[in-house]
Amino acid sequence: MDDEENPVHIEAATAANPATGEEVAAGPIIFDVEDLSVLYSGFRAVKDVGLQVVRNEITAFIGPSGCGKTTVLRCFNRMNDLVEGAVVEGALRFHGVDLYDKEVNPVEVRRRIGMVFQKPNPFPKSIFENVAYGPKLAGIKKKAELEEIVEKALRGAAIWDEVKDRLHKSGLGLSGGQQQRLCIARALAVNPEVILMDEPCSALDPIATGRIEDLMEEIKQDYTIIIVTHNMQQAARVSDRCAFFTTEVSEVSDTRTGVLVEYDLTEKMFSNPSDVRTENYVTGRFG
Amino acid sequence: MAMVRQSFSAELEQLRLQVEVMAVRVDENLERMREFLATGDLEIAARTVAADDDIDAMNVSLTERCHDLLAREAPVASDLRFVMSVLRVLGELERVGDLALRVVKVGSDWSLVRSYPTTYDILVSMADTSVEQFRRALHAWSSQDLELAEELARSGAVLDLANSALVRALLELEGPSAIPAALHSLVIGKALDRIADHSAIIGSRLRYLLTGDPGHLAAEIR
Repeated sequence: MDDEENPVHIEAATAANPATGEEVAAGPIIFDVEDLSVLYSGFRAVKDVGLQVVRNEITAFIGPSGCGKTTVLRCFNRMNDLVEGAVVEGALRFHGVDLYDKEVNPVEVRRRIGMVFQKPNPFPKSIFENVAYGPKLAGIKKKAELEEIVEKALRGAAIWDEVKDRLHKSGLGLSGGQQQRLCIARALAVNPEVILMDEPCSALDPIATGRIEDLMEEIKQDYTIIIVTHNMQQAARVSDRCAFFTTEVSEVSDTRTGVLVEYDLTEKMFSNPSDVRTENYVTGRFG
Repeated sequence: MAMVRQSFSAELEQLRLQVEVMAVRVDENLERMREFLATGDLEIAARTVAADDDIDAMNVSLTERCHDLLAREAPVASDLRFVMSVLRVLGELERVGDLALRVVKVGSDWSLVRSYPTTYDILVSMADTSVEQFRRALHAWSSQDLELAEELARSGAVLDLANSALVRALLELEGPSAIPAALHSLVIGKALDRIADHSAIIGSRLRYLLTGDPGHLAAEIR
């Protein structure tokens, strides 16, 4: 990799599949993960993850429970900083800059790399205040400017038409699917580059899920999305690239550690994966 | 970790066996076809036609089973390749069955075909080759044998030479019944040639199923 020479924009043309070592053609790389391990109180939860995320693509992380996919996702905006005893080893470069460098401000990281959670978690405030919260924190005070940002974010999250007449009603009064889109609007309002999604549809019905998936497809023009999902059909439908994680059980200590098995174009992962463990997982044979 | 979806796995194995059973039925009909060619026995011709109804019924029910599996189980990767390959192999088997019918439908005109030994002998040997080729396809499917599948897929047009020899010989037929005999012989020869081709295509389908290589999707035999 030529990160040292080109620290801001890595225009690498390839990403490697750990199962085969083969390089797969790709666009500009936004994240470059190398030998990433996460330890919780000395216990190794995930080890040796290496992958590259391509800009304006949807990358899905799949794998059985406990394989470390959410742990890895939380590294991308330093959410693990908030977990006591969590240590991140290896490198996770964003535009060539290591996110875990001492100089990097985690608050700024989280502004540029937003997150949407499994369960919709709007603040117990009005719809407007939910979306305006981030911009206000960032110091925007003018009402007209805030109104503009809120409308743009709500439109971007495909929920504007449903809420434009009730902006000052509580966000908690919306349906689950609407709440999740409100949370996406809240993430968009601070103008991030990347949106991390941790099982964003697992609490939603199929129609609301379909709307979120349509939304992801629309907004990937402007954002890079990384999604953790347990729904394999969803990963197959929405993602461009897919990473499969699993757990390895240590024979010595009986501890489980998450590992990245295979990372490739989604089409390949669901039609003819290179690693038999991926095949067994996507065909639903183990897990 | 425990293996799951065991009933789905069992259904796929069942489907593979059912396709094999259908292929055995087709093979039995090819044997009847060969016997008809040797004897001209109209009774055998009638039994071939009746047996083909069973083959067609199997094709319909197995096709429905595939659609049902696609809808209920949403198979991916090798499972999806398997169901799709079964659908395509069913089509080939059904076609081979129809081609056997085309031969026996010569019916009482068999004696015309039989009365010209040069061309008749070519047809008998073509029938041996095509039945042999189909048996290899059947064997490849039942053992899911990649090597055999590749051999079949590459064997291509095994009856090309015999076919042109047949046409040359037919052009030299003489006598009052030369034209009807030649027309019937040509139909039989074409059907036997196609049976060998469809058997090779089954090899191609199986090769794709086992390798997943999109380059193996095309069946090169025309």
